[in-house]
Amino acid sequence: MARRGHAGAAPRPLETGAHAATVWLQQLINGVSLGATYSLVALGYTLVFGTLGIINMAHGEIFMFGAFFGLLLVETGLLSSVGMLAAAAGGAAVMGLLLEYIALRPLRRRQGGHLTPLISTIGVSIFLRSLALQLFGPESQSFPAALKGGSFRLGGTVVTQVDAVILTAALGLMLGLWLLLGRTKLGKAMRATAENQTTAALLGVNTEAIIALTVMLAAALGGVAGALVGLSFAVSPSMGLPYGLKGLSIIVLGGMGNVVGAMVGGLLLGFAEVVTVQLFSSSWRDMAAFALLFLLLVVKPEGLFGRAHQAGGKV
Amino acid sequence: MGDLLANLLNPYNLQLVMLIAINCLLGLSVWVPLSAGQLSLGGAGFMSVGAYTAALLTLQAGWSMPAAILAGAALAAALALLLGYPTLRLQGVYLAIATLAFGEMVRILALNLRITNGALGLAGIPQMVDEVSWYLWDHTSLGSGQGPLDPHTAGSLIILGVLYVLLAAAVYALLRQAGSRVGRALRAIQADELAARAMGIDTRYYKLLVFTQSGFLAGLAGGLYAHLYYFIGPGDFGFTRAIEMLLYVVLGGMQTLWGTLVGASALTLLPEVLRFSASYRLMIYGGVLVALMIFRPEGLISAALVDALSWRRRRPARALPPGEGAA
Amino acid sequence: MRVLLMGGRAVALLLVLAVAGSLAGWGPEAAYAQSAVWRFGAVLVLSGDGAAYGNSQREGLELARDTINEAGGIHGMPVEIIFEDSRGERTDAVNAVLKLINRDRVLAIIGPTYSPEMFAAGPAADRARVTIMGISTTAVGIGEIGPYVFRNSLPEEGVIPTTIRVSKEKLGYETAALLYSNNNDFTKSAAETFERELRANGVDILTIETFHDGDTDFRAQLTKVLSVNPDVLVVSALYKEAALLLQQARQLGLNQPVVGGNGFNSPELYRLAGEAAEGAIVGSPWFPGRDHPLVKEFVAKYQARYGRVPDQFAAQAYDGLMLFAEAARRTGKPTDRQAFRDALAEIRNFEGVTGVFSFDEHGNPMMDATILQLRGGEYVEFK
Repeated sequence: MARRGHAGAAPRPLETGAHAATVWLQQLINGVSLGATYSLVALGYTLVFGTLGIINMAHGEIFMFGAFFGLLLVETGLLSSVGMLAAAAGGAAVMGLLLEYIALRPLRRRQGGHLTPLISTIGVSIFLRSLALQLFGPESQSFPAALKGGSFRLGGTVVTQVDAVILTAALGLMLGLWLLLGRTKLGKAMRATAENQTTAALLGVNTEAIIALTVMLAAALGGVAGALVGLSFAVSPSMGLPYGLKGLSIIVLGGMGNVVGAMVGGLLLGFAEVVTVQLFSSSWRDMAAFALLFLLLVVKPEGLFGRAHQAGGKV
Repeated sequence: MGDLLANLLNPYNLQLVMLIAINCLLGLSVWVPLSAGQLSLGGAGFMSVGAYTAALLTLQAGWSMPAAILAGAALAAALALLLGYPTLRLQGVYLAIATLAFGEMVRILALNLRITNGALGLAGIPQMVDEVSWYLWDHTSLGSGQGPLDPHTAGSLIILGVLYVLLAAAVYALLRQAGSRVGRALRAIQADELAARAMGIDTRYYKLLVFTQSGFLAGLAGGLYAHLYYFIGPGDFGFTRAIEMLLYVVLGGMQTLWGTLVGASALTLLPEVLRFSASYRLMIYGGVLVALMIFRPEGLISAALVDALSWRRRRPARALPPGEGAA
Repeated sequence: MRVLLMGGRAVALLLVLAVAGSLAGWGPEAAYAQSAVWRFGAVLVLSGDGAAYGNSQREGLELARDTINEAGGIHGMPVEIIFEDSRGERTDAVNAVLKLINRDRVLAIIGPTYSPEMFAAGPAADRARVTIMGISTTAVGIGEIGPYVFRNSLPEEGVIPTTIRVSKEKLGYETAALLYSNNNDFTKSAAETFERELRANGVDILTIETFHDGDTDFRAQLTKVLSVNPDVLVVSALYKEAALLLQQARQLGLNQPVVGGNGFNSPELYRLAGEAAEGAIVGSPWFPGRDHPLVKEFVAKYQARYGRVPDQFAAQAYDGLMLFAEAARRTGKPTDRQAFRDALAEIRNFEGVTGVFSFDEHGNPMMDATILQLRGGEYVEFK
């Protein structure tokens, strides 16, 4: 039968069967690129948890809005990937600030218990998702192909440029965060606030400002993640949904609030999924993620990189 | 007058009131462990186990409906006990996430197993109201149009009664439990688990107890749901459902069980009341959640409110309300 | 403390409003509309992820309604449609159907959008003896729910056998990989039909891979497909997932021809996937390019009003209301639900934009499918 040529000059398929090693190499690359997107989403998630001790259920929606901010900028005709990322980060940071002022700070004032921020961020996420549906419509949209770049071959396998960018961004942001938290005065203030807000305030840390800054930073990270994932795949109001639950799994895998853990956790989850598909069956792909999560929690609740005393917290 | 009654008893209203009872049971299944400080988000998973078990028993094994629904609830309870063991030492958010992971695993199983028919779900499940009204049709004078009600309305009222009797029984049992030794132990565990253990309370036993109760209630609600809506599929019991169940409790107020009942009723009616707002419905819903948490973080019904409203003034002493005393 | 009190009051007010709102609904409502209007209900997914489908359907229904009313209505009485949102949730669909039947006293109902919704809402309407007609429900066994349950959407098992037979004849493939979304009843049931038909036509299925709605990265599955290198890719997915899957497949070097399920049947597929969707083959009850005066008129009107080519959801919705109008024309009685049902069931050889309709004894449509191919962004007949 005739094979149709395909525009875009795609590389030839891998040789059948003979090169099992090539298939595995390609799966390795798939795992890394999938894992890198997970890590990218989890970084912002884990930052808020580490500082505020709350799970920000609206992170997935801020992630989605970040993608739309980037897309809106590109649609004005400005085809710059740096500008696109800046728009996503900036727009998302403003949303983070709003989130802090509207849905988080009033709750801290009221001392309503640990479940209230969970519920209020759920409220925000429902609100934002339907707002996006109103504003942008339910259809998926994609970035112009020019921005995506193509793909290149690496030892018989295919790597896309977007994947390379995502992996680099994830590693770079992780490193930046790690340095920020570990090596700067600001980071020290963040860690102090995370440890104990009252004590930190007594020691002269402006905890309210630090918290607002942390939430904004986390949102900006989410925005960048959204723009990159949107660039790689597609942008739609529901794009945050699958990442919300996966992101949650990852920050637990890596240890709540642990930046390096989020990175490793994301990659681990990416690999687990890819290996499940290749070795077993793709219908059990998500089972791998949750079974891994469940087992880890039972065996080592504090996560791979967490310290034992962090475990849990009260409800 | 007859018209007014007939209008009040129209199937739409009856269906909503029945759904409220089921959602109240679901809310209670989250409230029970929470009253001992345990946040479990596995409820959707247990509901799914109850629903599938009951539906398969009536559909394929020909069991009678009450027996099948009870069996579903029992299996869910047993599973909850099993899940309770490995997760005993998990606390707070970790327990929540572990149970959430369990719920997702159940959902993926339901998607992949042959017996649950995957995403196609189980259709044509016998329906409670139908069964009763057919019986009335064949065996009473209602069928010939001689009663005050048509058989279908009468059947709906009977099922409605059954649902609320079940709910009342659950509420009664839980109230009795709250006033007993067990209830005091649960409140102690909620206030401070370590201290409770130091005082000689067998925290493992009590935590497993509330887990099992929670599984039973969710499984029961699942079986009832399956036999009210003709159809179940894996999508009914996902992450969203787990969160919705939690919302009933937190929004209604988790200090007392009444809060859960109010929360479940309010949240069942809210989307219906908001029908006029069409596409803004979910935006308003989300906004209401945030506003409530800001203005009334203890939930609609607080313990103080219940005390103020109760005609029997008694025991002002109450354990710490949940959420106070941070980790 | 003040704030607290105010908060308390705000909540109390909210509760009072909620209770008042629901009580208002509980009161007596107008008996059957005496007025001269054909009142129908439509239960569609108008919010949430599936809103795209529901919106198309709404547009199709509105266009049909206005077309009828501009021509003077039916027996001089205008058509009215009350739209209700189901969010794609089964409980909401049942509530909406019961509301339409009991409170709005509609003559008959169009919808719901999804098959699982119909499996719950269909029996409820059937019990109330009110006609309900699915316009996009393609699962097995919809019409069989009861005598009052109909559909005008061709089930997938009516389309796929032709798709496979014709595409195999033309392309001569011998091995295939089947990829489908397995958390969606619609794509899964189509995948089962594909599997059966492929085997019946002697095609060797080398691998079956699944994913979920909402997934974006399919490369793990596609790499596995790559290692078995089939002659054809058979994909049953909604267009969002299908578009990404095709792009990634082409990127990885899977350049085989693609045969798709009903999800491929949307102009959105090409808009999202671009070149990667070129050449995709799909069987469809709806073909906007068909050379027929009814189709041309419908497409022109729709395009003028909404600025795009109608998809199958809009087309089937349009036909749905036209079928209702035909039944109404035959009875002439806007409050007689029984006569309406009987008239609808009697309809044979009705000319709609999606083809010629007749209902079988269960209320399922009997009609032919066209095999289409995407060429240069347009669906053309596959020859």
